[in-house]
Amino acid sequence: MKRFEILDHTADIGIVAWGRSLLELFVNAAEGMFSLITDAKEPREGFQTEIEVEGEDRVELLVNWLNELLYIFETEEVLLTEIQVKRIGPVSMKGRVSGGTFDRSRIELKREIKACTYYQAAVEELGPSLWRAQVYFDL
Amino acid sequence: MTDRWKGPLERLDKVRWIIPRTYKKGMNTEGIIFAAEDMIEAVLSDQAPEQVANVACMPGIVGRSMAMPDIHWGYGFPIGGVAAFGMDEGVVSPGGVGFDINCGVCLLRTELTAEDVTPRIKELVTALYRDVPSGLGSEGKQVFSLRQLKDVLRGGARSIVKRGFGWNEDTTFLEEGGAMEGANPDEVSEKALKRGMEQIGTLGSGNHFLEVEVVDEIFRSDIARCFGLFKGQVVVMIHTGSRGFGHQVCTDSLRFMQSAMKKYGIHVPDRQLACAPLFSSEGKTYLAAMACAANFAWANRQFITHHVRESFEKIFGSSAERLGMHVLYDVAHNIAKIERHEVGGEERDVCVHRKGATRAFAAGDPVLPEAYRAVGQPVLIPGDMGTGSYILVGTQQAMKETFGSTCHGAGRILSRSQADKRSRGRDIEAELLAKGIMVMAKSRSTLREEVTEAYKSVKAVVETVEQSGISLRVASTRPLGVVKG
Repeated sequence: MKRFEILDHTADIGIVAWGRSLLELFVNAAEGMFSLITDAKEPREGFQTEIEVEGEDRVELLVNWLNELLYIFETEEVLLTEIQVKRIGPVSMKGRVSGGTFDRSRIELKREIKACTYYQAAVEELGPSLWRAQVYFDL
Repeated sequence: MTDRWKGPLERLDKVRWIIPRTYKKGMNTEGIIFAAEDMIEAVLSDQAPEQVANVACMPGIVGRSMAMPDIHWGYGFPIGGVAAFGMDEGVVSPGGVGFDINCGVCLLRTELTAEDVTPRIKELVTALYRDVPSGLGSEGKQVFSLRQLKDVLRGGARSIVKRGFGWNEDTTFLEEGGAMEGANPDEVSEKALKRGMEQIGTLGSGNHFLEVEVVDEIFRSDIARCFGLFKGQVVVMIHTGSRGFGHQVCTDSLRFMQSAMKKYGIHVPDRQLACAPLFSSEGKTYLAAMACAANFAWANRQFITHHVRESFEKIFGSSAERLGMHVLYDVAHNIAKIERHEVGGEERDVCVHRKGATRAFAAGDPVLPEAYRAVGQPVLIPGDMGTGSYILVGTQQAMKETFGSTCHGAGRILSRSQADKRSRGRDIEAELLAKGIMVMAKSRSTLREEVTEAYKSVKAVVETVEQSGISLRVASTRPLGVVKG
């Protein structure tokens, strides 16, 4: 199964992600988002944190989760190389991320993502063990 | 690429196209797109017109849902969108302003000419690249304490000038005097503050830039003289916004707007259009936080103005005062503002959202600096990297038709991946250098995504606004040197 795919947009950019479970879907969406920022993949150490996010439905949870990850990336200045989602409830979710600092002179950051938007944002269960999500980012 | 828009478009005249109110259930008004005939194909090629129709569905919209000729597909509002809402029945929408609150443009004049600058352009661009922090996650040269940051959020560019990073006259020439009223730092989250503390005085990345330009054509000499512009003159354009601070304010606001929609029983076709009544506590909270972000952006551009003056002083061995580096003007092109406009024959307050659109007030307006009041507001239109920019002036027609608004730039026509394909294997830096433009950029992929072909012709955009009468060309410039994030 493809984990994510880029969606074309004139000014911005989006992703579609798939997962065999809702938990996997949220991980793949996060990895899809970071693939837009950098191709650097090697594991890093030194930073880890638990993330708790609230939202009134799955779309809001996904958008808030991705925005929380962008916030951590920007303020902690870390590449997140391991992203886990522990639990997704109706109005809250919990994840855990780890990674580490990086040398800006050696790693090219491809573009800045300002935020994850609600525009045409979707989280759907397509069938047994098949979930799909879609979001657009503001660049 | 995305689906072509298939809705109805009725031609009103050469540059005005109407989306009738009957197009879609829920439209409270009609939509209007300003575009020349040869632009309309590009306008219809994606879902931007649908977004114009969606905005027309928002509660309390006054007048039409408008899109300027640089319209392109956004999220929520189209880019190039303008919409006004009544104070009693209308709403305010963070999505109608965008994540980069008060993204805008500041233009500095100089007394230097192309002959003075061209031989030293490499040194100058190198100095600017070094002196103005740019790139993704760039940090300012000065870290602000929480107390100092809150002072900036209230006082905008004025608080930066007070600290000695600017001239007293500077803020006279910034929209809102560089400090919007109603800013309340208590309405801003800790996250936004944390993102903001290190980013004042940074350019950022994406389409933001710092450009050394030369005035190459004057269209209206009397107005150009009033703005202090002459042919062959070197000017500096700064294009950036409120950085991570503004992004976080918008993100936070969208969250509480989602709940507010339920609370006030508001339904809109797109969640990114989430909004709250202007009179509601949610609406007021957003406006107070948005004003903080707007002030952050004016402070940011003011700080960069200071760095630019220092770079010029170093390279030309003369003081910025002697080099005549006055601020010509500074405009916000992502903002919501409460303004007084004539609607249906009577004056009333409305909340004008400009999402990728620029205020373009006519001569005589009391909010304009005295020096320009006789001719109208300078409107600064950045082109894409490598083609130059325009200085326009606001008109009575804009006051009558568009709540004193006009276009903001060129407008993208190619997606990032299309731009990537077209520019693969090319050396964009070398191509621009061959055209006499020295570029320094933090990211090569940004350069390729921002390649000229990715944008509509800014020339065609400003010709269209001139034809529609909502602003007039005063001067155009071409770039000599560019700093990109």
